[in-house]
Amino acid sequence: MKFTFIPELFRQLFSKPYTNLFPVKYAPVSIKETLEKVEKGEIKITPPVEIPDKETFRGKIQYDREKCIGCRLCIKVCPAKAIEFKEEEKKIRIYVGRCIFCGQCVEICPKNALSQGEEFLMADTNKVNENWIVE
Amino acid sequence: MSLGMNSFKRALWIYHMNTGSCNGCDIEIIAALTPRYDVERFGIKLVGTPRHADVIALTGPVTADMVDKVKRIYEQTPDPKVVLVVGSCGISGGVFHESYHLAGPVDKIIPDGTFVYVPGCPPRPEAIIQGVIKAWELLEEMDGGKKNERTARKVERKED
Repeated sequence: MKFTFIPELFRQLFSKPYTNLFPVKYAPVSIKETLEKVEKGEIKITPPVEIPDKETFRGKIQYDREKCIGCRLCIKVCPAKAIEFKEEEKKIRIYVGRCIFCGQCVEICPKNALSQGEEFLMADTNKVNENWIVE
Repeated sequence: MSLGMNSFKRALWIYHMNTGSCNGCDIEIIAALTPRYDVERFGIKLVGTPRHADVIALTGPVTADMVDKVKRIYEQTPDPKVVLVVGSCGISGGVFHESYHLAGPVDKIIPDGTFVYVPGCPPRPEAIIQGVIKAWELLEEMDGGKKNERTARKVERKED
């Protein structure tokens, strides 16, 4: 009974740490210079942790224009009203800034024109940038 | 260089403000502080008063009751400051966009502020950390991109 901790101790000695690895080991003096160096390839950074389950992950909406038939079911079902209908073309436009990534439009789409990708790092200083409008 | 511009030095402190959020984004901000992500070892931490903060992490659409509080907290924060808007609510109203009590998204209330927007409902902790890094970059730009503040200040004193 005295030494029941020993197997646990060894397990913890050789197990991986639970903390995700950071891109760099220490906080850099200047973030801006570090990012420029990364672009040039002078510094290597640890890549972000992989997405656990790619099948069910709910990232940024992806839209296949060719498959879309303009039935407007996604607009009807969207709780945040993030989808707009373009009358002339009978296609849709999705605003990621209002989207709540619930996936109801993906479920209801009869032609599987909508899907959810793996992109989720989308922080930006501009509210109306191109990356946030899917069409 | 004005006195206020000297206040930002490396360790980034964040004041968290809830303006009628559903607490989802608040939980994700807390998750970014847990041992799994552990941003505190980079000097990024939550503080209890806007007077100590460099960045205001704002969650939720701004409700009518919160308008004057948002304005007051923004004015209390010392000057190189960035507002980190966490979640889709603060960007456009999100699911609350046509509620009767909304005073609109944040940039309607603070028109001249500097914002970093993180979309998601709620965003993942990694996305929030990326937003913080963007804010850090902006603060460095506001500071004039100086590497070492202390030496910069010594040079200024000699010139005086």
